[in-house]
Amino acid sequence: MTTALPDSPTVPALDKALPAARRAHAQAVASGSVTAALGVLGVALGLSAVFGAPRHLRIGWLLPLVGVIFDLGPLGGFFVAATGAVSIAVGIYAVGYAQREHWARFPLVMLPLFVAAMLLVPAAGSVTTFLLAWELMAAASLVLVLSEHHRAQVRSAGAFYAVMTQLGFAAILLALVVLSAAGGGDAFATIAAGSGGISGGTRTAVLLLTLMGFGSKAGLLPLHAWLPRAHPEAPSPVSALMSAAMVNMGIYGLIRIDLQILGPGPHWWGLTLMVFGALSAVFGVLQASVATDLKRLLAYSTTENMGLVTLALGAATLLSSYGARQVAAMAMTAALLLILAHAAFKTLAFLGAGSVLAATGLRDLDKLGGLARRMPGTTVMFGIAALGASGLPLGAGFVGEWLLLQSLIHSPHENNTLLALTMPLSVGAVALTTGLGIAAMVKAFGVGFLARPRSAAAQAAREAPTSMMAGMALAAAACGVFAVAPAALGPLLKQVLAALPTVGGNEAGPALGAYLRLPGIPGSMSPGLIAVALVVAVLLALGLGRWGLRHRPAAAVVPLWACGADSLSSKMQYTATSFAEPLQRVFDNVLKPETDVEVTHFAESQYLVEKVTYRTLQADPLEQRLYTPVVRAVTTWAQWVRRAHPGSVHLYLAYGALGLLIVLVISR
Amino acid sequence: MSWIAKIGRVGRIVEPADDAPATTVAPPTGVGGSLQLRHVDAGSCNGCELEIAGAFCSVYDAERFGARIVASPRHADGLIATGVVTRNMHQPLLNTLKAVPEPRVVIAVGDCACNGGAFARGYGVVGSVADVIPVDVEIPGCPPTPAQIIAALRTVTGR
Repeated sequence: MTTALPDSPTVPALDKALPAARRAHAQAVASGSVTAALGVLGVALGLSAVFGAPRHLRIGWLLPLVGVIFDLGPLGGFFVAATGAVSIAVGIYAVGYAQREHWARFPLVMLPLFVAAMLLVPAAGSVTTFLLAWELMAAASLVLVLSEHHRAQVRSAGAFYAVMTQLGFAAILLALVVLSAAGGGDAFATIAAGSGGISGGTRTAVLLLTLMGFGSKAGLLPLHAWLPRAHPEAPSPVSALMSAAMVNMGIYGLIRIDLQILGPGPHWWGLTLMVFGALSAVFGVLQASVATDLKRLLAYSTTENMGLVTLALGAATLLSSYGARQVAAMAMTAALLLILAHAAFKTLAFLGAGSVLAATGLRDLDKLGGLARRMPGTTVMFGIAALGASGLPLGAGFVGEWLLLQSLIHSPHENNTLLALTMPLSVGAVALTTGLGIAAMVKAFGVGFLARPRSAAAQAAREAPTSMMAGMALAAAACGVFAVAPAALGPLLKQVLAALPTVGGNEAGPALGAYLRLPGIPGSMSPGLIAVALVVAVLLALGLGRWGLRHRPAAAVVPLWACGADSLSSKMQYTATSFAEPLQRVFDNVLKPETDVEVTHFAESQYLVEKVTYRTLQADPLEQRLYTPVVRAVTTWAQWVRRAHPGSVHLYLAYGALGLLIVLVISR
Repeated sequence: MSWIAKIGRVGRIVEPADDAPATTVAPPTGVGGSLQLRHVDAGSCNGCELEIAGAFCSVYDAERFGARIVASPRHADGLIATGVVTRNMHQPLLNTLKAVPEPRVVIAVGDCACNGGAFARGYGVVGSVADVIPVDVEIPGCPPTPAQIIAALRTVTGR
């Protein structure tokens, strides 16, 4: 790649610097464009699989004994297309980001590889291929998380992520091996055909194991702990890919293995999914609303959204198992819409956070602020993402959440105690989640971007370069489409729903037209009309205001009122911590924050205060209660086992001999 | 429901006010009977504050003549300033005056605000309120009684 240049004795430094910069530029463009091209390919393949015939591909020589089988149906196509779309935005963004952050060559190479691995997962048509693609995806993402491995936090997050993702893989491996043994084949199609003969115990074991494995990938409670560690420490384009595309694979696994292949299960399957989904949603959003690290907040918001998706999946399964197939189809549509919306707004949010991080070097909301003046484009983009995440009208997440609530409210629960109990509780959980989600997003946007800068770094922020803006604009456009014209997704969702007969798929789902109509239920809504009404109202208010002002004298310009002081200071503003303080107080029992106020008095008198130190630490209570004992126990056991490894060659030889002896005795 | 009947029996217990005095300055808003004031303590001993609080309390009730104390100078039609202007409060007083929209009225309450009073020519003192900003109405007294304050306010509210 290096080009030989004639030695120039006058300006050697410049001569060296220029090709280096040009090479970095070329490498970034290559990596980004390959990523985006893979994304385009993914979208095209995915859509063709959704609307056309399912695609099969078998490469016999690639893996010994079984070969590699790809089998892309409508469901897989949906996830491939979603992943591809995220990758296009991230690929374009990465061109600018990699140059600005001086990425090394390794992450540049790994980025397209990670995308390729993610595209392979939903395309896999057999257990072996699926596991291979899954592990490729896990390994590639781990390497990318460790891009900035010179920082200790990154190494710690990487170790955490590696352990959790491998444990999850082990659970999936076990589940799929059991499944393929019981189903009598390696290919998913074979297993699905023979799934009727699988015993109840095996089904339960597979469900629980996959729930663990896929749940940890999707960031569901209590296996979410890697998300708030790995997402903040990974480079932002990688965070966007992981949070918007990779966690979806967990959901894909749940749908594909548990709902599509294992087929309709007993009632408690749906109930379990709903419980885990609701807990994840509420816990995730609660943690997001008190987080002060921008990317940590977004990571917890991912847990929240995946929780909502799982809740919708569970509702669809439960309703379908009780025969309410029409409402089940509605809940399933809600789940699919939420997945798409989350992919769009979370890509945008993480890319926006990446622009902020690149411009200021800060993730701490308490030190940000004032970016609306300095980075207007990024501010608008993040605003669109925050609106989408808060689930309000004109936001990307609104239609999905509305459908989910409608399906929960309209579930037929006459003479059915279970539905009569779970559905209102779920409505409560979704309402609480949405409410707290708005608080979290108002905090992220208001404290992070508006008002005055709280630090010199935020003061010196500059707008992101064009390619980063272009990547964000693409994701923002997707957010706009989902918010205003979900009708565009109607045919796509219909095809995917038809591939899911076990959750009411062959029923007519909600009609996604200009008006959202629900079959058999007196409820309709038109996001497009809401948008038009809002625009008209704003224009009307502006016009009337102008008209009212026409006889007024010119406005006088006076200094800001700062309570008599000379000027306002950024210390007068709300910080992220103070904004979340009431919530922290209300949910004190769940969040268990550690606050510490230390007052230092003057030596002369204890009535005079020299300084007050306030420290607060918002750790994840679940992590501390659940993970710390496990980690401690493993460490203790490891210490015991270590005694058997004293480093003596003789002892190791004795172990070998003993092992051989045992084998001989057994196989005698 | 006996308490409603009791209200009817007791009626208004406010003493009837005298006729409105002649106005000293035109109401700044152009409307009589409405005067929103922001209070600034420029360095008072708090004697005048107590009397102002008395004037606006339920016994004297200055609000029935249309005068009100408001929280922000942006909401006010004028300033009501007490005390001699100290060095520390000099700039804040000017800032507050600037924050009151024009046209506005400035009312100085108490001897200190009018001419420096007992603290005139003190080492930390800039001067009286009139030395620093233009004053429209002066209420002398150390401190002036609530009745005196209300009488002066009525000359501005016109009620």
